[in-house]
Amino acid sequence: MTIIKAQQESWQSGMAKNITFIVTKDCQLACKYCYLVGKNVKERMPWDVAKTFIDYVLDHETDPEFAEESVVWDFIGGEPFLEIELIDKICDYIKTELFRRNHHWFNSYRFSFSTNGINYHEKAVQDFIQKNLDHLSIGITIDGTEKKHDLNRVYKITEKGSYQDVVKNIPLWLEQFPGSGTKVTISSVDIPYITESVLHLYSLGIHEVNINVVFEDVWQEGDDLKFEEQLMQLADAIIDGGYYQDYACSFFSEHIGKPMNLERDNHNWCGAGKMLSVDAAGNLYPCTRFAQYSLRDKDAWIIGNIHDGIDKNKLRPFLTLDLTTQSPQKCIECEVASGCAWCQGENYDAAKTHTVFQRATAICLMHKARVRANNYYWNKLYRKLELEDLREQYEAKKREVKPKIC
Amino acid sequence: MLQYLVILLDDTSVAYCHADNPLKEHNLTPLETLKKGILFGMKQNLMIQYVFPNYELPTAYAEVIESIDNVKIYPIGCKPVTSIEDGNDIDVEVANDVPEKVEAKNLVLRLTFSEMLKQKNEIAKLFVLGARVNLCIIDVEQFAEEQIETYKQVLNEWNTTLLNLYKQGKSPQFNLLTDRIMLEKMHNCEAGVNNITLAPNGKFYLCPAFYYDEQMKVFNQLNHHNPSSDNSVGDLEKGLDIPNPQLLHLDHAPLCRNCDAYQCRRCIWLNRRLTWDLNTPSRQQCVMAHIERNASRALLNDIRKVSKFMPEIDIKEINYLDPFEVRKEF
Repeated sequence: MTIIKAQQESWQSGMAKNITFIVTKDCQLACKYCYLVGKNVKERMPWDVAKTFIDYVLDHETDPEFAEESVVWDFIGGEPFLEIELIDKICDYIKTELFRRNHHWFNSYRFSFSTNGINYHEKAVQDFIQKNLDHLSIGITIDGTEKKHDLNRVYKITEKGSYQDVVKNIPLWLEQFPGSGTKVTISSVDIPYITESVLHLYSLGIHEVNINVVFEDVWQEGDDLKFEEQLMQLADAIIDGGYYQDYACSFFSEHIGKPMNLERDNHNWCGAGKMLSVDAAGNLYPCTRFAQYSLRDKDAWIIGNIHDGIDKNKLRPFLTLDLTTQSPQKCIECEVASGCAWCQGENYDAAKTHTVFQRATAICLMHKARVRANNYYWNKLYRKLELEDLREQYEAKKREVKPKIC
Repeated sequence: MLQYLVILLDDTSVAYCHADNPLKEHNLTPLETLKKGILFGMKQNLMIQYVFPNYELPTAYAEVIESIDNVKIYPIGCKPVTSIEDGNDIDVEVANDVPEKVEAKNLVLRLTFSEMLKQKNEIAKLFVLGARVNLCIIDVEQFAEEQIETYKQVLNEWNTTLLNLYKQGKSPQFNLLTDRIMLEKMHNCEAGVNNITLAPNGKFYLCPAFYYDEQMKVFNQLNHHNPSSDNSVGDLEKGLDIPNPQLLHLDHAPLCRNCDAYQCRRCIWLNRRLTWDLNTPSRQQCVMAHIERNASRALLNDIRKVSKFMPEIDIKEINYLDPFEVRKEF
């Protein structure tokens, strides 16, 4: 089996244009925390839509919207690998056209996938992986222990848990993408399983666990205290078990929990508007979260289509967003603000008006709980290292997961 | 802070800004609603601005209308006759074509860009009449890059006329060119901030255009947490309820708060139509406002060659027409 080079989570971070194909709105699963409220089997991207979109993007090479040095072609669903034949055709066409046009993205591109992992082992998917191995990022989502995973990640008709069908593909995935991380999502019912789940993922050989709480307003009274308790247990387990040396969990970061420097940090968290997404109908979005299937209460924020191109007026709100304009005063003045994230799509969906300038704050208490546990983690870890005279050595080679900016 | 209450006396009240009034059926504001609106204005210490339709109102309205100090906005040639001639000199006449004479001290002239070009000489003749001329382009969304030079040119031509009037010791007022030379800070429409509109249905709207949109079922939901409110922002029974009011203020408009095209209307209705966010102007609005700003700068410089004029005003030379292009430097 070919060993594929170690995955770099933030490949060309900040220098790459992120372009997303919503190839299907279908998925084998019906995850209970999934923000996609409009999944269906009908909206599969036709080839001519994909081709017209690629032509549009590549025809506008010199436009400011496409000036980035590199590109990440992202494929999302539903479950993207349900459309592996289309994806293979798209990727072949992109490669051919980049070469034919001598495009500045030639040899500076990557194909990126976030998959539920269920059909990862199938021949069509594996053939695709082998064919594109030098330009591939694939993340498989596995939520932790079987119990925790199957609590949410269930098949859409039978409601059977999907853990067994995913975990069997983890060794193959890690063999092909050593060093890969997984993405774990926490909602209210998952809180009691956080510690065991992270440790379980470590035991599967996954060294990097990117984990976040859902942005939606799903939290119950007292969840923050339960969350803090779980994270402190996790901190103890990581430190006492020595996992901190070779493993990482994004919950713990030295950069979170500080007041914002409004001069330095008054920028937007998310990349909506800098990214570009296209769906099966050929409509363009500032991010997939603004497509109708992602929105509960608002209309889709369509910024154009593959025939007429981007209506740049519709991008202006996104590209002028900053922290202070969209945040309520309590966030601006928050003593532990740094690291408190938001999703622009959820902000829009939850806003009182048709705006991206109203920050949703449903995770406020959860962030504060995380900060308390995070402080505990670093105080405990550094004290241990100091007593063992290992702090300097640790700091020189410490591994940290940076929060993934979408 | 709210200062003005705009009262639409009828569904067909004259459109006096960017938005056309598509409502064709007479629907007079009930007298009781009008009285309550006036009472609201009195309690909130708001100046009342009545917007008239082009037909004569029933006589019972005259006394109620004149029960409070007011400004009248009316279609040109349809001066409202009420029982009290208060001689108010800030009444506003509204025309959709260049008139030959203007009776009020204020004229709102609503034209498309192409109509403006065709009638530029007739417009210039208005400057000498003594009335303040507010030219409102009603198809801003159609303004294209190819029209930038044309717009610069026509403003330059009007500058020549205005300069000659200044040389004669006159003080013509033309919103696109003479407002900016007297402004030290933003002076915009400020719908929802310093003025609010009461419609014939007894509900409040950010401006008349939001009422028109609601009636025409265009984009008719402002408060998504209260869907039944459609586009309204309160009513006479419960008072004002403006969702996300902070987004109407200058400090919550990232492009505008750093801008010095102080004469710009900053039309939030156009913002919503073209960028979908109330606090974000379209490229068209920004570019047009900056062409006006730069032409105003040229006018100011020319006036200063012949007289001392507003020495405290400084309009800097800039190399962009759309602040969006330089947003990273803010």
